[in-house]
Amino acid sequence: MERKKNSLVELAKILVFALIIMVSFAGYAKFGIPLVIPAPPPVEEKITGAVTMDQMIAMGDKIFHGKGTCTLCHSPVGGRAPLLEQIGTNGPARLKDSRYKGKAKTVYQYIIESEKDPSAYVVAGFGKPGTNDTVSPMPMTNKGAIGLSDFELDCVAAWLLKTGGLPLAEIKPPTGGAAAGAAAAGAAPEEIKPAATAEEAFNKFGCPTCHKVPGLPEGGDVGPDLTKVVKLAKTRKPGMSAEAYIFESITAPNSYVVKGFDKDVMPGDFAQKMTVSEITLITKALLGEK
Amino acid sequence: MRIESMLFKQKKFFTRLRPAVCGTAVFLAFMLALPAMTVKTTGVAGALWGEMSVQAASAAEAPAAAPAAAPAAAPAKKDEKAAAKAEKGPEEYKPITPPKLELKDYPKIKGFNSRITVWFIAQLHLFFGAFVLGVPIFVWVIEAVGYKTKDERYDNMAHEFMKVAMTGFSLAASFGGLLSIALVVFYPHFMQYMASVFGKVMIYYALFFFVESFFVYTYYYGWDKMSSGKDKLIHLGLGIGLNGAGLMLMALSNSWAAFMMAPSGLDESGAFAGDVWAAMHSHLWNPLNIHRFIANIAYGGSLTASYAAFKFLTANTPEEKAHYDWMGYTSFFVSMFGMLPLPFAGYWLMKEVYDYSQQMGITLMGGAFAWLFILQAVLIGAIFLSANYYLWCSLGRSNGSARYTFMIKPMAVIIVTAFLMWLTPHTLVMTSQEITKIGGAHHPLLGKFGVMAAKNTAVNTLIIMTFCSFQIFKRSNIRATGKGFWAQYGTTVQIGLYVAALTNIFFLGIWSYYIPASTRIGLSVPQVTTTLMVAVLSSVFDVFIFKSNEELGPPKWGSMPVRSQYALFTLTVAFTWLMGLMGYVRSAIRQHWHIYTVFRDNSADAFTPTLPYAAAIVTGIVCIFIALVLFMFWMPILASKGNGAEEH
Amino acid sequence: MQFLKPILAIVVAYLLIKLGVPFLGSLMHPGTWPVVPSAVMKMYMAFIILGTLLSYTYSEEGYNALIGPIVDVYSNPAKAAIKFGLVFVIGAFGAFVAYQYVKPTFDPPVELRSVHPAPPSSAELWGKSFQIQSLKNPLRDDKANFAKNVEEGGAIFFKNCFYCHGDKLDGKGHFAAGFNPLPANFTDVGTIAQLTESFVFWRVGTGGPGLPGEGTPWISAMPVWHTLLSEEELWKVIMFIYDYTGYAPRVTTEVK
Repeated sequence: MERKKNSLVELAKILVFALIIMVSFAGYAKFGIPLVIPAPPPVEEKITGAVTMDQMIAMGDKIFHGKGTCTLCHSPVGGRAPLLEQIGTNGPARLKDSRYKGKAKTVYQYIIESEKDPSAYVVAGFGKPGTNDTVSPMPMTNKGAIGLSDFELDCVAAWLLKTGGLPLAEIKPPTGGAAAGAAAAGAAPEEIKPAATAEEAFNKFGCPTCHKVPGLPEGGDVGPDLTKVVKLAKTRKPGMSAEAYIFESITAPNSYVVKGFDKDVMPGDFAQKMTVSEITLITKALLGEK
Repeated sequence: MRIESMLFKQKKFFTRLRPAVCGTAVFLAFMLALPAMTVKTTGVAGALWGEMSVQAASAAEAPAAAPAAAPAAAPAKKDEKAAAKAEKGPEEYKPITPPKLELKDYPKIKGFNSRITVWFIAQLHLFFGAFVLGVPIFVWVIEAVGYKTKDERYDNMAHEFMKVAMTGFSLAASFGGLLSIALVVFYPHFMQYMASVFGKVMIYYALFFFVESFFVYTYYYGWDKMSSGKDKLIHLGLGIGLNGAGLMLMALSNSWAAFMMAPSGLDESGAFAGDVWAAMHSHLWNPLNIHRFIANIAYGGSLTASYAAFKFLTANTPEEKAHYDWMGYTSFFVSMFGMLPLPFAGYWLMKEVYDYSQQMGITLMGGAFAWLFILQAVLIGAIFLSANYYLWCSLGRSNGSARYTFMIKPMAVIIVTAFLMWLTPHTLVMTSQEITKIGGAHHPLLGKFGVMAAKNTAVNTLIIMTFCSFQIFKRSNIRATGKGFWAQYGTTVQIGLYVAALTNIFFLGIWSYYIPASTRIGLSVPQVTTTLMVAVLSSVFDVFIFKSNEELGPPKWGSMPVRSQYALFTLTVAFTWLMGLMGYVRSAIRQHWHIYTVFRDNSADAFTPTLPYAAAIVTGIVCIFIALVLFMFWMPILASKGNGAEEH
Repeated sequence: MQFLKPILAIVVAYLLIKLGVPFLGSLMHPGTWPVVPSAVMKMYMAFIILGTLLSYTYSEEGYNALIGPIVDVYSNPAKAAIKFGLVFVIGAFGAFVAYQYVKPTFDPPVELRSVHPAPPSSAELWGKSFQIQSLKNPLRDDKANFAKNVEEGGAIFFKNCFYCHGDKLDGKGHFAAGFNPLPANFTDVGTIAQLTESFVFWRVGTGGPGLPGEGTPWISAMPVWHTLLSEEELWKVIMFIYDYTGYAPRVTTEVK
């Protein structure tokens, strides 16, 4: 009996001892080490509708410092990669460099090329050891763990060009309609189909955002109430038919501004964006025709 | 109460059935090999397939799945078809793309957190797995030594080690089974994808599992039957078979874990291209294999050392005490043998991680996990301190140790200094007053200890000093009696060697501050070489010096103080905890990916746990493990107690 | 008295680190007293105590010498007074530690701060955009009026800057003691001597609030000077601080 007791006591002692050691390890992890909270999994941003250049730049900034993980290397701390804040002076210099063999003609193209194919041009001293600066240690940012979409790459480029004080003209912010597609990397942009019904057409161009539109439950009051246009269209401009007036109001909004509303609020580029059939659908719907 | 006698009966049963067992194994092997060639998810193979994926899961390592776990849902059906096709023939092969999962694709089971559950089970499986893979390696070596020297004590000890491992074997298998079920239950889409890539390998894995079982049972239960002459050689052959099967098991399951970290064999879009070998042979596979192989030996040694320590503490007779003291010492020696090269294997793995993905490497060493390595340094420091302490205590066994004890305190000073240098963080945490006094955020002196150059210097010094402790212990009970050069001046040469090595290591360490970072990394190679040179050369010199020697009285086995045994427990606990921690980080660097860059984790647990969170979980896991292990140690006592009562 | 040895060893080690490290550090970085941060000190001491205890208890004699007096004090009725004294001291120490943890403090939370963070490529001052990388001091070319510009810069310095940065430009102005971190010491090699004029221009012009995140803009008291001085005044004052301290501004090599 005594012997069994003995071994149990030893067991308990060892267990307590092990517990003390473990708790001291865990305690050190908790109290002795500053708490670092790892970044949460990046959210794949879905962009729909129109995006302005400023939004793209802001997004690029966010991607650069966050999801893109660019600052892991492109930061002054480790000196692991060129500092991109100097792109304003360095970008044009790279293109002129005799070692440059890429296809880019502009800094924008150069940035996009470097994002997709980092080894196209390796800045002297930053190549993989032993490759004589022909292979870059940078991952392809449109693939793998980073996996930025083309739109996101554009955002980063916009931000870089802006910080470098270079022109942004080459970047075309998505103009809305179909999803600009930040979603899947490399996915082909969805083709924009012409609307098949009046309701689709209204929604496609965002009419209900500002107007009350016949047949749609909700509408804004930034612009005139279009449910009344059936009656009013004829009277707005003497000598102009209702169809002609509506056509003119869509394609050249400033030619007649309803009293109580401001000029220049309605976008003036619907003439470029709408198809003939869409304008017809909209006009007919507004005039209560089938 | 009758466990012993039951075991005995079993033993007889097994030895008698040896030919039958062999035959069954061969038959089973065929059964498995056939479906492996034409895998279909039907019939026998289907049943096996299920089990396999379980094993695979376990192989893939729960913590991995846990912290980084991720996705794959809709294309499940497609996958299945693709997998089936893939196995039929390459011409019909269709690439398997990792599915994109959503939150709702992850089953929720009330009362269980998917990741934590899998984490616990996988880590426990790994602990026991490492133990049972590690022990047979040195058991075999000890048995071979016993065979060569005709010293029965070695043979008995090897047999006893194996006895301890046997319980571990069944526990490892049980946790493996549990893990496969847990993975399939909690991460079905992930497992489906893994099976679609590794289906064939999983089959082989299961096959080797049977082979392993066969060898374990024949090796252990056949020990007494095959104890002499040619039989002994056959028995040693069985041991080789056992270790071979064990190695295969480890390598196969490592391939899954390595694939999750550094996927290979995939095409541009991330779809599996159909070449299983390419998928297995990922960039981190071999570094992981080597690291785990060495660590298994060290870990197995530390656990058996704990077993011996426990038996030592509960021993009633001086003979028993002496026996377990000796056993503890041998286990400790084995453990140290694995421990000393382990940091280098770790550095290699780290280097390969950098090679594979600089981003992953920086996240590890400079990003969110930088502080984890300070904790790791503390743990390894604890291991080295307790190891040295055990060696110093061991001097008490020898009669001639008084000649060397004066060295212990200076060595302790060097070890502690090197250790402090090692755990000095790169970024110091300072209050604003301290920043004011220091005159900035950069400390002119301590800042220099934060970089790799200092760490390499420190760890090499630690290892050299630990080896020095060991050498002192080795010679504490003997005196050279030769007349030649070596006997006369050998020790002086050794001292010179140590001094030269330390000087060299320090010189390289200091020099590396003055050269560019890219060249600096290369200097760790001569440092490591110096350390290894000291270990090898000094051991060789020992042979010459003590060619003829006299023993200064018999070693006093069993005279070790109780606290030295607790040093062994510390070693085991710190080692286990460290393994748990490194399991966490290995998985966590995949961040929000099940399979890094390929298969995203969109579960609720996709976030990377913080260090305190992980530390709490690891502590929980290790508590369970230690409790199970102690229970495992205690069972035989319970049994023998019962027997004793019967005899009375 | 054998048991006093390890205690002595620990105290010596403590003093060595407490004083030795700052001493060596002050040699490497004169003018400072780089103390060992308390967080690191705690870690060091924990392992020094552990290491000392281990190296004194490996042998039976050492262990007994260390434990003997303790056992003696606690079991010998004749030494009850010492025992209770010890219990009191240990308890008081525990109370002290607890007090240190819970007492209210006015210290800001510990932060990691980069003193000279990387500048942005361009900064907005006076509503204009300046390219920091390529920015040059326009007054440098005006060699003829150099002395005059410096003198005018000096006047601006003493009207605006010297309250904090001091009349010797050593960061010890009247208000300096009230700031944390301290105002920059321009005579130190670690400040303007290692910076380009454009960097200084950016720092002075945008002040504390213009620092990027890693420079912890919320703990700098430097005003946003471009709202108070003109562009020319800014360049002049920069010329003055370089001229006065005798440092030449750092020149960046042309971008390769």
